Amino acid sequence: MMFKIANKQILAKDVKRLDVKAPLIAARVLPGQFVMIITSEGGKWIPMAVAESEPMRGLITFIFQEVGPATIELGAMTIGEEIFSIIGPLGQPAVIEKSGVIVCLATGVGTAHILPICKALKKAGNKVIGIIGAKTKSSLTLEPQMRISCNRLLITTEDGTYERRGLASEMLKDILSTEVVRKVYTVGSVDMMQAVCRLTKDKSIKTYVQLQPAMSCGIGNCGSCRVRVEGKVVLACVSGPLFDGHNVNFEHYKTRLAAYRQNEIDPQQQEADEMTRSITKFFPGLLGK
Amino acid sequence: MAQIKPNFQPAVKRIKNFQEIALGFPKKFMVDEAIRYSQCIDLDCDHGCPLGVDIPTFIRMVREGDSVGALAKIREQNDLPAICGRVCLAPCEKASCAQAADQAGVSIRALERYASDHGRARFAAKKVGITTGKKVAVIGSGPAGLTAASRLAKAGLKVTVHEILPLLGGTLRYGLPEFRLPKNVLDAEIEEIRSLGVEFKTNFSVGQSMKVDQFLREGYAAVLLTVGKNSLGLLDLPGADLGGVYYSQEILLSANTHFEDQFKKNPSPRIGDKVVVIGSENAALDCSRVCLRLGREVTLIFPGTPEDLKIYSDDLEHAKEEGLKIEALTKPLSILADAKNFAAGVQCVRMDFADAGESGKWELKPVPASEYLVEAQTVILASGFKTNSAPLTLGSQLLLNENGAIKIHSETFLTSIPHLYAAGDSVQDASSLVEVMASGKKAAAAIIKSLKS
Repeated sequence: MMFKIANKQILAKDVKRLDVKAPLIAARVLPGQFVMIITSEGGKWIPMAVAESEPMRGLITFIFQEVGPATIELGAMTIGEEIFSIIGPLGQPAVIEKSGVIVCLATGVGTAHILPICKALKKAGNKVIGIIGAKTKSSLTLEPQMRISCNRLLITTEDGTYERRGLASEMLKDILSTEVVRKVYTVGSVDMMQAVCRLTKDKSIKTYVQLQPAMSCGIGNCGSCRVRVEGKVVLACVSGPLFDGHNVNFEHYKTRLAAYRQNEIDPQQQEADEMTRSITKFFPGLLGK
Repeated sequence: MAQIKPNFQPAVKRIKNFQEIALGFPKKFMVDEAIRYSQCIDLDCDHGCPLGVDIPTFIRMVREGDSVGALAKIREQNDLPAICGRVCLAPCEKASCAQAADQAGVSIRALERYASDHGRARFAAKKVGITTGKKVAVIGSGPAGLTAASRLAKAGLKVTVHEILPLLGGTLRYGLPEFRLPKNVLDAEIEEIRSLGVEFKTNFSVGQSMKVDQFLREGYAAVLLTVGKNSLGLLDLPGADLGGVYYSQEILLSANTHFEDQFKKNPSPRIGDKVVVIGSENAALDCSRVCLRLGREVTLIFPGTPEDLKIYSDDLEHAKEEGLKIEALTKPLSILADAKNFAAGVQCVRMDFADAGESGKWELKPVPASEYLVEAQTVILASGFKTNSAPLTLGSQLLLNENGAIKIHSETFLTSIPHLYAAGDSVQDASSLVEVMASGKKAAAAIIKSLKS
């Protein structure tokens, strides 16, 4: 069974969007769930959020940033090519119920993860306030889709090139002082999620964080995505990826993330780096400053 | 004349590749081996095989040179003979009837392998016509699932096997390295089952968004769950979450999904120069041998005695030849970390038999002041498997035992959800391949019985 790429778009620098024909997954995927992608036989397995799904056309949409050799390989695929395998839908879906004002906060490509949750929450009758953060204006993705899916959308950029300057978590602080927020959903970097949890803990607002540890299989077999929640070790791929943020042990999560960061370094790149280092050691000034 | 012996790859050569170790069994040697087997004449004896293979009859056929007949005889009870002939723990060789006579060392496993490799029929198998209109869904294509699918298809049911991963075989494909079970052998066995009319669906996940009642709505009369186990064990070992500490499944999955040369050049989870493997089962030995083939220095640690190893003796001998260091009676206490939160070594303590209390029983106890450190950059945890947590998403009505296994009725194999049956590794504790297959076979028989009535 192969999965054909129906459409491809380059959204921002290194950020790509793929529409893939996968009727079975498109009909069944729920917000908050993810899939595993194997680009080619013998290739690496990549966990990927389903940003949008169209059951009628049998299409699912991925939005991802090219960070390692595996995602670069996926990003290099063209329309009409076939992906070897897409496993899913996996993980537990997000809790969707009517509860009032809900803040959905995402930074970077986390926006792709939060988009289906926003849509479902708005459909359930909540007032959804979206906050998306990015480094600069050009790395901001999915703004129009988020505008439709949220009742109110706030944007922050770290360098102030678009809308408000600052961090997304600071924006949340302002919202919390003016609105009665019932729940917070957040996807993004560890520091951002930790900051959000600190803010909401004082006001005892239910906060869901999406953890993205290194996943080798996605089906609860290999144990690489183990995280510590409520003092117990659980697998993020089976019990997650959304967890109650106030129960997550972030220090443990950081250790697990660091454990695999070394794996992602491309050996060829490493070799080239070492070569450069040795050249500059013997011929200082050769490669410029 | 020199004695004819089976050919094996020499150890120095085979630790540089992932090819199968045995290069083939000569016919003369196997016939001699079959002659050495003294026939068990007890008609009620099961010869130690959980599947109930008629061992004396098939060995007699091998002795007479009729390997085709021998394979047909094995296939009556065993649906994956070529796989069992390679990786079965062979309880039949330890059975009382095989031990009784003066014939110790007849390798029944090798005879089964010989029969299945050489007895393959020259013509395509006759397809069984679909007689009943009833459909059965099997979830998981591991050893239990394949056995059950084959049995159900032979009984005239329409079987569809649903597999979450892109390729079929489950543990047989993703949990056993190529040098123990070559993928082409597995593919041939699956083709054999496909020729019975079994349909296979890959990339099909069951759980949260595909529940049992959806299967029933699609017209399936019964659903059989054979999802196996995953490896959430040994979590109480301090330091199990450090960098460089992996579960066995992760290493085996990586070795089986990547191409050989690519894996040897750049193994996907980084593996350090010195590796410690903790465990006493086949998974532990397989991980050790994968790391040996990557040129690493490997130590296998387990708290029991060498007799406690649940490993076939030949495999252990092969691993020793390849340079595996085995430290029996050694209990890991904790994994030590370096400055970057990566594993640096394993703190161990020696175990020995000691008189425990007044009962007079000898028990394994840590030897006082015998702690020592084994240096290791990579630690692989390969024991304490628990039930797969994936079926929990099928619904809260699914009841479990205290040990996390799925609760089933011992005769009907029904779970707490109507029309949902379960078998294999997910319902029983620490069982070998052949026991898992026997469980799948019994569940299939129970389903056939309930659907016919």
